[in-house]
Amino acid sequence: MKTLMMFLATILFFACENVENTASNDEDKGITSKEEFNDLSIYNIPSVWTTQHNEQIEFKDLQGSVLAVVMVYTSCQTACPRLAADMRNIEEQVAEKGKENVKYVLVSIDPENDTPERLTQFGEDYQLEGDQWLFLRGTEETVREFANIVAVKYKQISPIDFSHSNIISVFDTEGVMQHQQEGLGVNNKETIEKIIELSN
Amino acid sequence: MKTHRKTQTRFTYLFFALLFPFLFAACQQQEEVVKSNRNKNEDIKVVGTMKAELTAPPHVPKPIGKRTAKRLFVDMEIIEEVAEMDNGVEYVYWTFGGSVPGSFIRTRVGDIVEFTLKNHPDNKLPHNIDLHAVTGQGGGAEASFVAPGQQKTFSFKTLNPGLYVYHCATAPVGMHIANGMYGLILVEPLGGLPPVDKEYYVMQGDFYTKGKHGEKGLQDFDLQKAVDENPDYVVFNGKVGALTGENALTAQVGETVRIFFGNGGPNLASSFHVIGEIFDKVYLEGGKSINENVQTTLVPAGGSAMLEFTVESPDNLVLVDHSIFRAFNKGALGILSVSGEENHVVYDEGTEAIPYIPQSEIAENTPPQEKEVEAKVEEPAPAPADFDLQNSITKGKKIYSQNCLACHQAEGQGIPKTFPPLAGSDYINGHPEKAINAVVNGLTGEIKVNGETYNSAMPAQRLSDEDVAAVLNFVYSNWGNNGTTITPEQVKNNK
Amino acid sequence: MLRYFTIAIFFLFHLNVNGQEIEMRKIEGGVYVPLYGSQEEVQVEIEPFYMDAKPVTHQEFAEFIKQYPQWSKENVKALFADASYLTKWTADGEVPKHLINSPVNNVSWYAAKAYCECQDKRLPTTDEWEFAAMASENSIDAREDSLFNQKIVSGYEKPKTYLKEVGQSTPNYYGVYDLHGLVWEWVYDFNSIMITGESRSNNNTDANLFCAGGAVSANDLMNYAAFMRYAIRSSLKARNTMSNMGFRCVKDYDKNELELNQ
Repeated sequence: MKTLMMFLATILFFACENVENTASNDEDKGITSKEEFNDLSIYNIPSVWTTQHNEQIEFKDLQGSVLAVVMVYTSCQTACPRLAADMRNIEEQVAEKGKENVKYVLVSIDPENDTPERLTQFGEDYQLEGDQWLFLRGTEETVREFANIVAVKYKQISPIDFSHSNIISVFDTEGVMQHQQEGLGVNNKETIEKIIELSN
Repeated sequence: MKTHRKTQTRFTYLFFALLFPFLFAACQQQEEVVKSNRNKNEDIKVVGTMKAELTAPPHVPKPIGKRTAKRLFVDMEIIEEVAEMDNGVEYVYWTFGGSVPGSFIRTRVGDIVEFTLKNHPDNKLPHNIDLHAVTGQGGGAEASFVAPGQQKTFSFKTLNPGLYVYHCATAPVGMHIANGMYGLILVEPLGGLPPVDKEYYVMQGDFYTKGKHGEKGLQDFDLQKAVDENPDYVVFNGKVGALTGENALTAQVGETVRIFFGNGGPNLASSFHVIGEIFDKVYLEGGKSINENVQTTLVPAGGSAMLEFTVESPDNLVLVDHSIFRAFNKGALGILSVSGEENHVVYDEGTEAIPYIPQSEIAENTPPQEKEVEAKVEEPAPAPADFDLQNSITKGKKIYSQNCLACHQAEGQGIPKTFPPLAGSDYINGHPEKAINAVVNGLTGEIKVNGETYNSAMPAQRLSDEDVAAVLNFVYSNWGNNGTTITPEQVKNNK
Repeated sequence: MLRYFTIAIFFLFHLNVNGQEIEMRKIEGGVYVPLYGSQEEVQVEIEPFYMDAKPVTHQEFAEFIKQYPQWSKENVKALFADASYLTKWTADGEVPKHLINSPVNNVSWYAAKAYCECQDKRLPTTDEWEFAAMASENSIDAREDSLFNQKIVSGYEKPKTYLKEVGQSTPNYYGVYDLHGLVWEWVYDFNSIMITGESRSNNNTDANLFCAGGAVSANDLMNYAAFMRYAIRSSLKARNTMSNMGFRCVKDYDKNELELNQ
């Protein structure tokens, strides 16, 4: 019996390895051949995301930029507009200091409904426009993984609504998280200072 | 400079108020008020750093004395462990620092406490801490929420002096507290608390076990009993006997003792009392207000009190929750053992006990009477120089009805075969010395009255000489008796 | 190439069918009320699924690492596992003998998730796990049974149960072992419930501060075992690892597959 199980287990791994290899072969090469990232860097995340411009992107493509990241969804009526306003406020104040290597990233919690078009619309509605603004659509899996990195809790509670924590996270130019601001309508001062400091 | 700026702010505010509608103005104003009411202790300067001394009960760390406010590092580890609750009874305690109650934290007003909470990797549950001394989210609850194998640090400034409870506030909160997750944090006022000779840390808690009180073995937490607020154990310092026997608190005669008393609950309020002592001072509810000369102080669950008293005589003072069944049936009992010289002025044990025969004992075979024969009388006035018979008889009537009537009856006729008659009695008429003797000393054994034999017992009457005379004068002047006059002197001489 | 593919498919299929018989148990779906649910729909519908009969053991996890060395103690990225990752293993990454058949512990959510995916499985959702775990030996929902609850809670209080071997207890209604009594188990959406360290105000979330705020409130105030599970989940970050935290995998129930089998 045990032998049978071992045999089956071996095949299982074998099968998994195949699947894994075809899916991530290129990626593996990429990581190993190019460079090693900081162990805590989000550049280690292998997933591929779609932007509001319908382009494919990985976090490691954002190397060299300070990132301010928030998780929202476009049909949200309550907290997300406030979060969007917070992000805009942060962007304005950082821009005043002439900091340019900063990206403002809004990751959608609702990949099913938040198409690139809707994300673009959301950006227009809340005046989050320009190269510094990045909207990301993933899959249910990759969104959950990313949420776990920034410790955002969320749960779908109806087809169009999610409850979620309101957290703005700041990553340095190596992709390592350096600061988090939790809550709505809190003072953005510390976050702005941190971004300015990191982008120096 | 400050005033100037304030005026300026006011002016700005006025300017805006004119420009904007009320809403904005109201908002500004509120900010002003908040600023002026803020706690001034926030401005106390922090000079230097130090590691906080933490102690397990019943001990407390050294007083703060004259030290400056500092950045104080508190390092507390949460340990879930099996320990004895009673003889042969074990329980899984969840502890702050390995003891129930948790380590005592001693700070002074103005300190910035940098609190690190460590959840031991072998623990099974997440925990946190809510310190009632903290003004901020949940008393630190959310900031300190920590999984096993993790640690978290947060900080707070101690703004209000007092004695505060801390406890775990992780869901299910009641269970975390019921398993022992509470303790005390003291914030001393400027200059510190007045020095005393002995300081102790005592905290009450109620426990809910699957088995009944005393049932041996490892006992599980019983949720239903906890919800019903029906504890099996109500104890001081986490277990039965934590403060008795070898573990008793000690003090010397003449010493002043301060007890930092807390009540972790989770459910019961404590009627804290020390048998054989009076609290000279109670810092009510652990705050600033002091009450003096208190017998029992009520300490709510999640509350505290500081108690001070000087011990005057050598004795085992007993700490109890005066909801007294908790003390004797559920464990809420502790001892403060005081040694030293006896002080007979303050307390004297008196003499050896001597046999006591109640005077109002009713003879056998006597049916119980509605009115007890009582000998309670007012203290007699000094006997007048000239004896007033009439006055004596009047007084005697009252005494008779109180002391004699129940047996000898209203007309002195007595009760056949049981109580002899006084009316026309050949026993007393012509024999005043017998009458006096019977009243003063009582009478037992067989006697013959008017030809009838009586054999019962009459108790001695506790009456003054004057009253004995009075009651006999009343008897002699009524019911066909011979009108003999008895004076207090005769009574005295006949004793 | 095509032949290789076919063989792979065959093996996969073979494994799935037999694998389930040996190691997995079918959990008939159903409707249940979770401790924390959504506002609108109190009841949650659970589709049928297969669940590992036992928690993943140290031995099994060690075999996984042989195949995927990026998950070894040495190689794992700090982003995906904290410093206590596999801390009970020897310095050179070997499983101590006494732990071989004990549930693997000190694994992060990322590692658990990767393990399951490499078995062509996945981590259970909170609702799936809770649904399977409310079954006693002879009832699919024993949550009202105070003895059952008492046993679970007392198990949670016992120290060092991660040292026990898997599969030694009585299985539940579905034939699943050790959902209670050994280790906590990772679930896919462990961080979905908005409870925080401030557990006393969870029923009073400021509705204005969250999208669909106030949606989360406990349904059964007497289910302390469930409270403790939700508390432990919400205390964790995905990279955290714990002595008392392991996992098991589940797999969708595929109707067609069953028909194929028959």
